[in-house]
Amino acid sequence: MKALGVLVIFAATAAAAQEAPGVESAQRAKMNWMLSCQGCHQPDATGSAGGAPSMAGEVARFLNVAGGREYLTRVPGVANAGLSNDQLAELLNWTLATFDKDHLPADFIPFTADEVAAGRTHPLVSEAAVLRETLRGNFVDDGRVGGAN
Amino acid sequence: MKDIDKLSEGLVRGLARMNSRRGVLATIGGLVTGGAMFPALPVARASGGPSGSGYDGVAPQSTGNPMDPGDPSSCDYWRYCGIDGFLCSCCGGTANSCPPGTEMSPITWIGTCTNPADGVNYIISYNDCCGKPACGRCMCNRNEGERPMTRPQLNNDINWCLGTSTAAYTCSTAVIIGVALKEEGQG
Repeated sequence: MKALGVLVIFAATAAAAQEAPGVESAQRAKMNWMLSCQGCHQPDATGSAGGAPSMAGEVARFLNVAGGREYLTRVPGVANAGLSNDQLAELLNWTLATFDKDHLPADFIPFTADEVAAGRTHPLVSEAAVLRETLRGNFVDDGRVGGAN
Repeated sequence: MKDIDKLSEGLVRGLARMNSRRGVLATIGGLVTGGAMFPALPVARASGGPSGSGYDGVAPQSTGNPMDPGDPSSCDYWRYCGIDGFLCSCCGGTANSCPPGTEMSPITWIGTCTNPADGVNYIISYNDCCGKPACGRCMCNRNEGERPMTRPQLNNDINWCLGTSTAAYTCSTAVIIGVALKEEGQG
């Protein structure tokens, strides 16, 4: 019983230390966001016209459509980032929780290093924009039905 | 009027009696040669001084902050470790701000530089200033941590005047946007 109590306390501490699912260090994730993403996606992830697309309030919606989760590991900015698989998975989880918490599924399973590594082996190139629009066409929950599907 | 005539005549005759014509010419010649050895105007002094940039007409600068040491008009200034371009500090702006009439690009390339004052790695954003012709002063090309064109987000040879109303590049800033964690494998 005592052991169980210690376990519960340990688990609670671990949960408190994690600011988002699958994020070991939010500080490190934010630093990696600054170094690898925000130059083009902007500090608030809103992107720029004709440049990097906006992720704010939208990026987690990819998790709700078929193929979206894999897309997030293969999109050029993710797949080509100069980061280890561990830190890339952490950054991806942090990005989803930070910029689109509202669309994060309740049963969201955080990205792991292995999953990210698998996606990086076949990164998207010029077809990324087409695939993105196809997937966005499948978003159903706020009237954004349409697109290339 | 007559008195003025008399006075000047007297002065001139006195001068003529005391000096030979050759002596006057020698003195004038000496003054001309000697004077040329000392830059007389403040502008010339600025360029002749120990300017950090080595660029004519740019005087040494200081941040005034001991924790931010160095000369922001010099390529050796610590924040410029990854820079490629003209320093806005030499172009009417500063290391943090754009010259009047230009627009700061929101799309930037970002890296880290070590501050020699505290040994900490700071995250530096090299925002370009855009909208006027290239400044042309204080060209710096350190590019530490740059990656080839295959990693465009870390390549400095492309024009980073993106997201601005014009793509005309003027000069570059180096803004501190955060502190990097010390860790193996971070570039």
